[in-house]
Amino acid sequence: MALAYVLVAPVVIWRLSTVIYPFLSTLYLSFFDNSPVRRTFKFIGFDNYVAMTKDSNVSETLSFTLFFTVTSVTLLVISGLAVAQLLNRRFALRGVARAINLLPWAMAGIVWGVASRWIFDVNYGLVNDLIWRVSGLRPLWLVNVNLARLAVTFADVWKSAPFLAIIFLSGLQGISEELYEAAKIDGADRWRSYWYITLPLLMPLILSMTIFTAIHRILGFEIVYALTQGGPGMSTALMSYTVYLQAFRVLNFGYASAVAIGLFLIVLVAGLFGFRLVRRAWARL
Amino acid sequence: MAIGIPRPSPSRVWRRLVRSIPFYMMLFVFLTIILLPIYYIFLTAFAPGDRLFTQPLSYVPQSLELTRFETVFKGLPIPRYMLNTAVLATTSTLLALFFSFLAAYALARLQFPGANLVMVGLLASTMLPGVTTVIPLFQMYQKLGLMNTLTGLLLLYGSGLLPVTTWVLVSFIKQVPPEVEDAARVDGAGFWPLLFGIVLPLIRPGVATMFLINFIAGWNEFFTPLVFARGPSAKVITMALSEAQVIGSSTQFYQSWGNMSAVAILATIPIFILTLIFQRQIVEGITSGVFK
Repeated sequence: MALAYVLVAPVVIWRLSTVIYPFLSTLYLSFFDNSPVRRTFKFIGFDNYVAMTKDSNVSETLSFTLFFTVTSVTLLVISGLAVAQLLNRRFALRGVARAINLLPWAMAGIVWGVASRWIFDVNYGLVNDLIWRVSGLRPLWLVNVNLARLAVTFADVWKSAPFLAIIFLSGLQGISEELYEAAKIDGADRWRSYWYITLPLLMPLILSMTIFTAIHRILGFEIVYALTQGGPGMSTALMSYTVYLQAFRVLNFGYASAVAIGLFLIVLVAGLFGFRLVRRAWARL
Repeated sequence: MAIGIPRPSPSRVWRRLVRSIPFYMMLFVFLTIILLPIYYIFLTAFAPGDRLFTQPLSYVPQSLELTRFETVFKGLPIPRYMLNTAVLATTSTLLALFFSFLAAYALARLQFPGANLVMVGLLASTMLPGVTTVIPLFQMYQKLGLMNTLTGLLLLYGSGLLPVTTWVLVSFIKQVPPEVEDAARVDGAGFWPLLFGIVLPLIRPGVATMFLINFIAGWNEFFTPLVFARGPSAKVITMALSEAQVIGSSTQFYQSWGNMSAVAILATIPIFILTLIFQRQIVEGITSGVFK
């Protein structure tokens, strides 16, 4: 028995000191006016939280976070399912195609973020070169608010769709071939058997991954840091990025902590809601 | 040729080929979407001088030049950054695996009060995103002198790997039949030889996949070094990207893209090689992290 505690202790202590304790300190700090430049450390109750509700940076961040999470997760799930279907079929060099699919996943987020800033460049970017060849137009991707939001979304989908594809592919491989053969005998075509067999059986997995990816979108940082710096204005800032700015550019530790706690509450609610939803879906299967 | 199975008639072969055209078209589109941006980064890094900046872009390189790489190596301590990155990714992965393995064995095999709490607590702690811990850690690190040190980064890199690694290893250890351990115990094997001589080799595939996944995660880290590594002694390769923007002929905005692409390639090549070689294990690692 004592041995068990000795074995578990390093992991528990490591996590407590680098995650749990700092988290509680952030919670504590969020009730203070604390800035290393102004050298203040004063208890101000809920003032930071009240200020947050009036801060247009925060409300703009929230609105983009919502937009980004909904559009990106939708596109990710759809393209993930499509790629999984594509890679599940037997063909020569399937192994190679599956390996290529992994490349965006393996590339560092920050590398891809920086590269996509170049790719969305107005004059010499890859995206505008292709659009210009077809339409003669050169959209101002990172200048126009709506286009900047789309650019962040597209870049994110390119990076993360392969991950979902891998998960969905393993889900597809778990579906018995016999089901499809039975459906074929009953005269179902490919679309019907996808709609009535594949999708219902994958649904719990799709829901789990929707929640999982949604939480990761809410927490996104690198893509925004590298591609748009939250701009134009704060129109493409995500919560983590806003916390980072408040903490390490404005050096407003107390206020940044309050925003971080706000982010945590959003993730907590999304997580608990999603967890219940997912558990019900798996139970129904 | 199997006997008794009639050869498909030429018209049927044709029909099958025609029917698979949409599939191959989609496959082509998919591969293009993935590979074209990567190819474009390579093109940018190797394109000579201002060859890059033409409208329309020329996708076929006229010649390959290494001048951007020379500029980057001259202007930044790239070998140092690469070494830091490799050391951090390797040691954090090994340490996290070692301690996760110990914990996972206890959680999988030894009944003890609080085991459930540890399992759930580990999972719940992943719900606390990096930004909710970074400010106190920053203050703590300044007080403890851990800023700009590899040790400081190592503690944070490793910490992030513990929950999932422990969970995955628990499920791997549970798959080992207990009889194997019982037999070894009857033969008089002590606890530590049992752990590292019997159990560890049996779950080697699981350990190997987690090593790969964690190594890649460590290599690609950015947020942690951005906050905690501000001097060259602990900086990593992902941080050289923005630094490459302001070296060499940085007065010209577009020139800096070549330098950044060169760094992007240096940061990416090792990971791509690993990924292509160990494709199977990586897929296994990704899925076991989600399903277990």
